[in-house]
Amino acid sequence: MRRTLCSAAGLLLGSMTVLAADTIVFGAAISITGKTAKEGEYTRDGYQFAVDKINELGGIKVGGKTYRVELKYYDDETKPERTAQLIEKLINEDKVNLILGPYGSSPTGTAAPIVERYKIPMVEANGSAEAIFSKGYKYTFMILSPAKNYLRGVIDTILAKDPSVKTVAILGENEAFSKEVAGGAADFAKEKGLDVVYYELYPTNAQDVSALLTAIKGKNPHIILGSGHLQDSLLIVKQAKDLGVSPRAMGFSVGPSSPEFRANLGKAADYVFGATQWTEVLKYNGEDAWKTPKAFGDAFRSKHPNYKIVPYQVAESAVAVIAYQKAIEKAGTIEPTKVRDSLAALDIMTFYGRIKFDSRGVNVYKPMAAEQYQPDGNKYTVWPFDVAEKPALYPMPPWDKR
Amino acid sequence: MSGAELGQIAVNATLLSGILALVALGFSLVWGIMNIVNLSHGAFIVIGAYLTYWMHELWNVDPFLSVPVSMAVLFGLGYFLQRSLINQIIRAPLLATFLLTFGLEILIVNLLNFFFKADTRSVMTPYSGTGFTIGAVRVPYIRLGALGVSTVLVLLLGAFLTRSRLGRAIRGTGMDIDAARLTGVKAPTIYALTFAIGASLAGAAGSLLSMVVPFDPNLGGGYTERAFVICVLGGLGNVVNVLIGAAVYSVVEVFVGSRLPALSQAVTFGILVILLVVRPQGIAGKSFN
Repeated sequence: MRRTLCSAAGLLLGSMTVLAADTIVFGAAISITGKTAKEGEYTRDGYQFAVDKINELGGIKVGGKTYRVELKYYDDETKPERTAQLIEKLINEDKVNLILGPYGSSPTGTAAPIVERYKIPMVEANGSAEAIFSKGYKYTFMILSPAKNYLRGVIDTILAKDPSVKTVAILGENEAFSKEVAGGAADFAKEKGLDVVYYELYPTNAQDVSALLTAIKGKNPHIILGSGHLQDSLLIVKQAKDLGVSPRAMGFSVGPSSPEFRANLGKAADYVFGATQWTEVLKYNGEDAWKTPKAFGDAFRSKHPNYKIVPYQVAESAVAVIAYQKAIEKAGTIEPTKVRDSLAALDIMTFYGRIKFDSRGVNVYKPMAAEQYQPDGNKYTVWPFDVAEKPALYPMPPWDKR
Repeated sequence: MSGAELGQIAVNATLLSGILALVALGFSLVWGIMNIVNLSHGAFIVIGAYLTYWMHELWNVDPFLSVPVSMAVLFGLGYFLQRSLINQIIRAPLLATFLLTFGLEILIVNLLNFFFKADTRSVMTPYSGTGFTIGAVRVPYIRLGALGVSTVLVLLLGAFLTRSRLGRAIRGTGMDIDAARLTGVKAPTIYALTFAIGASLAGAAGSLLSMVVPFDPNLGGGYTERAFVICVLGGLGNVVNVLIGAAVYSVVEVFVGSRLPALSQAVTFGILVILLVVRPQGIAGKSFN
């Protein structure tokens, strides 16, 4: 509650200083309420953390002049059409300098044409559906690994543990991002010689997946992969346990990376694999203020003690602001089209990994990692193997033998 | 489709329909008697879910035992809201009731967001995820228990409305408020009681749902929609209609959901549209009889 008040106060201060010269204002529409409210909170906290850090270190230096930075955001209520309206408002009424992305692929998809129209760049940290980037937009940049790569780390981990797995069932939320994750996972599984025995998309806001799990149970697959959001992953594990659906391994695109996964599921969270963009144990050495994932995690936690684990959404949101900082410094101006060109040419190493965009604006240069909750109650990075904290536990014991 | 799968689908649909009947029951009662489509119904459900969650979290109260507490708290809240707010617009045009109850929903959801954050919660008990097996068909205990509680509450409400003096007064008020007044029924009290009973049933549904699905403050909207569809499918009028609506809805959701999940909502609403064309009296807004 205190944090909400603080950020409300911050917002107020932010809007008061908008008119002051020498301030670069980043505008964003973020889902503070609605389905992805939690992820929206991570996004907001990540942006704000990086903004505060830049100010603490003196701001951004542009051609002899130093700019302070501010974040101005509105709640898009997890409604993509609302995101688009708010981006227009931020650009037209609030006159923000640059745009940071919303949470989620659908809102990012509706924001992209707006920033294109006004020729103001948007670095987005939380919309990884590549569909957004197939339209030839020049002002939108994706800082994270694209959706179709999400479950590769999980599939690789399982195959490394057990080359005898043959069959996989994939269920995904029928929504831009999750659909691409599911499709990418199916393609990658086939490429690796697996047989995709079940592939279905379920509607957004599903409250019951027992019907799908019943159909999957009949196919008896070795692996079950889910691509949705936190609530979907919780529901699938919960109902798989209810219905006694016990594959050799389960993995999700989104969910297990968030601390709430185990808080909600307890021991049922054990052995489940999760895809992640970033974890605190990865071995990157960046040219930003924090340099390493661990240093970033520690710094964030000291400011936000309520976070036990720093979710990757926080890191990727923070690094979006850092990408802007580096691009502005290299451009030597805050003129939006120049900043855009500077972003397109950016190639830096950060605590989050390498930031470099392909011709579409997608960061294809950073790999995905995989994590697993283990019975000691902790979550470990289990892939890539060279930086794994612990070996992956496999297979998942059947529900009735735990 | 194998026999085992068909059996599992039938069991899933039965278990789901019990909870959904309870979700729709209070909504149907308020709509039928007071002619108010209560868009804040889902928010009451979420309050029920949080009550159960916190009682389990803080004092380790078994979630099934917290159902009566949820019902009592929401009964009080419903009574208060009706007397203070809903009563102001009881004879106003439909739009005013939509606006008020919609506003109430937003207020409650945002208050919950403020106090409890957007964190996703689940109530996990030692018996969560356990169940028994008949042949190849699995029956989870929690869902079975939820079906049991729902059935008892549905039967109790049915008996209350038909057998008790107060229940008859409620139905009488729904049929003809002026006639009811002439016979000495205090309409404001009856309305407040009706709304309170509707809210308390939502509270019970929330308590049960907290064990079945992970939730956050935004859970409710989807259940208001489901309650609406079930009421329209079954038709207002009496408890049996709600049961029929919930059963039809559950069979469609579970059956289509297992074959063509991406289409399950399209099919459900498609059936709704067809029904409205073929049997428009389903939506006639008849009072309890």
